[in-house]
Amino acid sequence: MGNCCSRFGLPKIASSKSHLKNVVLLLVGLDNAGKTTAAKNLIGESLETVMSTVGFSRVSLTHQGCSVVIYDLGGGPKIRGIWHRYFADAHGIIFVVDASDVSRLEESHQVFANLLSHEKLEGKPVLLLANKQDCEGALDEVDIVDLLNVEAVVNQHRCPTIVEMCSATTVRKSHNKLDPAIRNGFRWLMNYIIREYSDLNSRVESDMAVQRKQIEQEKKERLERIRKAREERGESMAD
Amino acid sequence: ILRKLKSQPDKELRLLLLGLDNAGKTTLLKKLASEDITHITPTQGFNIKSVQSEGFKLNVWDIGGQRKIRPYWRNYFENTDVLIYVIDSADRKRLEETGHELEELLMEDKLANVPLLVYANKQDLLHAAPASDIAEGLGLHTIKDRPWQIQACSATAGEGVKDGMEWVCKNIKKK
Ligand SMILES: Nc1nc2c(ncn2[C@@H]2O[C@H](COP(=O)(O)OP(=O)(O)OP(=O)(O)O)[C@@H](O)[C@H]2O)c(=O)[nH]1
Ligand SMILES: Nc1nc2c(ncn2[C@@H]2O[C@H](COP(=O)(O)OP(=O)(O)OP(=O)(O)O)[C@@H](O)[C@H]2O)c(=O)[nH]1
Ligand SMILES: [Mg+2]
Ligand SMILES: [Mg+2]
Repeated sequence: MGNCCSRFGLPKIASSKSHLKNVVLLLVGLDNAGKTTAAKNLIGESLETVMSTVGFSRVSLTHQGCSVVIYDLGGGPKIRGIWHRYFADAHGIIFVVDASDVSRLEESHQVFANLLSHEKLEGKPVLLLANKQDCEGALDEVDIVDLLNVEAVVNQHRCPTIVEMCSATTVRKSHNKLDPAIRNGFRWLMNYIIREYSDLNSRVESDMAVQRKQIEQEKKERLERIRKAREERGESMAD
Repeated sequence: ILRKLKSQPDKELRLLLLGLDNAGKTTLLKKLASEDITHITPTQGFNIKSVQSEGFKLNVWDIGGQRKIRPYWRNYFENTDVLIYVIDSADRKRLEETGHELEELLMEDKLANVPLLVYANKQDLLHAAPASDIAEGLGLHTIKDRPWQIQACSATAGEGVKDGMEWVCKNIKKK
C-alpha cells in the first residue's frame, strides 16, 4: 500500500526517503503505571533517570522505514487534562496499566473508557500493556481485560487492540535491554499503522490542521485579553 | 554529540532563568545557592550563580523580568541547555501574559529544542493555581518539539526547588 514506486525500480534511497512515514504514538495511563520506563525500555535507554512526568516528554526511534515519535504524557490526576490536546497527532495509542495495583484498576478503567470515547481517538489501534508482571500479585491478561472491561470499550469505539503482559523494568543485555512483550506489542501496533497508513494519516493531517487553526484563534483571543488587562492597569501594549 | 563533548568532561550546564517580574526568580536562585533570601530587590540586570547538583555544575543565569528589561532577555539565549521559566502561581491575572512571553521565547531559534522546566512558584499562597490550570493558561499543551515539565514549588519555603533541578539534570544526561 502506498509503496508502489519502489517496484518500478527507483533507487532505494530515493524511494525510502520519499516514503518515510511519520508516525506519532500517544503513551498514556495513570501516573506510576510505568509509561516513561516502558518508553525508555523500548529505545534501550538507562532506566535510572526516570522521574514522574508532570508534562510532556518525547522519545524518537525508527522502525521499518517509519520515523516514530512517542508522546509520553504525565498521568497524574492534575496533569491528565492536557492529554486531549495531543490526540490529533496520534496514529496509535499505548495505554499502560500497573497490573499489580488492584486498588487503582477502577480509576484506570474510567480513564481508559473515557480516552477511547474521544472522537479524535476512536477507531485508532491500541496497545494495552499490563505492566509490572514481576510484582507479586500482578494480574494477568485475562483479569486485566475483564476488570478494565476492555472488550466492551474497544468494541464500542472500534479500536483494534492487543494486550501484552510485560515488565518495563526488565533489562536483558542480550536483547537490547528490551522486554520481549513490549517489543511484540510495539511491532503489532506499527504493523497495523503501516497497513492502514493512508487512512490513518489523512485523518491525522486533517485533525491537526483543524487544531492548528483553533490554536491560532485561541492565541489571538488571548492577546486581546492581555491587551485589555494591560489597559485596565493603565499600561500600554507597546513600549 | 556536540553537547556531549561540551558538557561531559566538566559536566557544566548553562541554565537560563526567565519569567515576569515578581515571579520569584532571584529568590529561587538564592535558595538554590543556600543564601539568605531576606533582602531581595527587583533585578535590574542579571545575577549568576554556580551550584552543584547530581554531579553537575549548574551555571544559573537569572535575568530581570520587568517589562522594560524583557527585550534584553535575548542577549542571554546562546548555549542554553535548559530554559527554566518561573511563574507566580497566585498571579492569575497575569497568567496569560506570562504565557504569551513564554510563547515568544519558544519561537526563538537559539532556544529551539531546549528542554523547558516551569517552576509553578508560590504554591504556599492560598489561591495558587494547580499544575493543570497552569499548563492550560500558559499554553504548554501546544509544545511538541521539546520535553517540558511543571514543578510546583515555593522558593521562600524551599519546597520543590531541588526536585526541579533533579529533572533538569536527568533530562540532560540522556542527550
Ligand atoms: N517492579 C516494577 N516497577 C516498575 C515497572 N515499570 C515501572 N516501574 C516503576 O514504577 C515507577 C513509575 O514508573 P514511571 O515510568 O515513572 O511511570 P509513569 O507511568 O511514567 O508515571 P507518570 O510519569 O507519573 O505518569 C518507577 O519507580 C518505575 O521504576 C515494572 O515493570 N516493574
Ligand atoms: N509567598 C511567596 N512569596 C515568594 C515566593 N518566592 C518569591 N516570593 C516573593 O516574591 C517577591 C519577588 O521575588 P523576586 O525573587 O525578587 O522575583 P524576581 O522574579 O526575581 O523579580 P524580578 O527580578 O523583578 O524579575 C519577593 O517579595 C519574594 O519574597 C514564594 O514561593 N512564596
Ligand atoms: Mg512518566
Ligand atoms: Mg530578580
